[in-house]
Amino acid sequence: MNPGLILVKREFQEDFKASRGAVFLVITTLVLSAFAVLLVSNTELSLLDNAQAVYMMAGIIIALAALVAVIRGSDGFAGERDRQTLEPLLLAPINGPGLAAAKLCGILFFWLTLFILAIPYLWAVGSTGQNLFAAILYLFLAGTLIVLVFGGAALALSARMKTFKGVLSLGLTMLLLWGSPVLLGPSLRQSAVGRLLDLANPFAAALNTLDSVIIDSQGLSWQLLRLAVMVSYAVIILWWLYAATRRLEP
Amino acid sequence: MKVLRLKRLALIIVLASAWLTSGAMAASAGNGQVLRVSLQAPAGALKMGDTPNFLGAVTNLGPQPAQGLVVYLSLVSLAPGNEHPVDLEDWSAQKAVRLDRLNPGATDFRNWGMRLIAAGKYGVALTVVDPREPRPIVSDLVPFEIQPKATLVAGRVLPVAIGEPLLVVLLWGGMVFYNSRCYHKQKPEGLG
Repeated sequence: MNPGLILVKREFQEDFKASRGAVFLVITTLVLSAFAVLLVSNTELSLLDNAQAVYMMAGIIIALAALVAVIRGSDGFAGERDRQTLEPLLLAPINGPGLAAAKLCGILFFWLTLFILAIPYLWAVGSTGQNLFAAILYLFLAGTLIVLVFGGAALALSARMKTFKGVLSLGLTMLLLWGSPVLLGPSLRQSAVGRLLDLANPFAAALNTLDSVIIDSQGLSWQLLRLAVMVSYAVIILWWLYAATRRLEP
Repeated sequence: MKVLRLKRLALIIVLASAWLTSGAMAASAGNGQVLRVSLQAPAGALKMGDTPNFLGAVTNLGPQPAQGLVVYLSLVSLAPGNEHPVDLEDWSAQKAVRLDRLNPGATDFRNWGMRLIAAGKYGVALTVVDPREPRPIVSDLVPFEIQPKATLVAGRVLPVAIGEPLLVVLLWGGMVFYNSRCYHKQKPEGLG
């Protein structure tokens, strides 16, 4: 079997057979459940328009995906180094970028699982509202690009830095920085600087795409610029990952 | 003599044009406005999530065609103690239209669709801006009330919220159990 496929299979097994992967899945479903229960139990929130509820749920899913991508990406090489399993891995007949591609496939596969698990929640809060199908479609598109950006960046850092803790700290700081303009709220983002930050921020681009599609019912032509921003980031990050893993050191 | 006649003619023309102008202005001022705008609320009770149409009408009462009119909708919350204008971004797909030309006596009827997002007391009005007029013309305020409606139903959300984590735990437990059984079956006899 192709060594790359063997590595992808190993990543897949870590997700579904090892307790670590299963704990991640259970935690993500618990977070989504807690949020869904919050929506129905709170009188004010339960009166929200369905589209608004779907948008909020989609935002939580994107944030979870980015967080898991950073954690998994940080563990990619630095975690193996900490566990002293990177050296045997480097002896496999596969080069650094091939290893990185297998690790990235594992992260993308986890995202796909998370996305499939999230669909019932989106249906539960939004099946009587508008744009549910569009919400699911754009969530998949934006989520995949965000996972590529954050997972790829964490993997690239992981290839260069020595310890898992160091990469994780840096990765979480990076996620917080990208996410902070979104936390500022819509009013502060209306200024020229706010709009510029929004445009240059892949996380904000993902959330704005979902807002535009789910709440404002806007079509693909409105999303092209934001999708282009996310795709550009993904391409740059993948190139960085390729450059960072060409010479891997144990 | 000829010059005198010409002067008289010029005076008559000036007076006539002044009379015509003042007459037109009087007609305009007499009617109040050259344009008339009205808005009609849909019949029946309204509740959250509905998408009713408010029927707007703009009539040109003047003798001249009206050009480049801008018509837009305004929504205000009339909740006692919390009156405020409402941003129509999420409420209405069509916030404003431009009418290229409205002939004398003609009326432009238009449905203003709105998605009712939140419960409460509201008022909606239609405004017309005529580039030739110094003041915009506003319709009467149409008050309406939106009844609350729980859009998120516990009967649909709770089974998913409780069932899915349980299902994931059960599936994972089942897979671990199945794998451990396979492992024990594959292990050669005598190795414990």
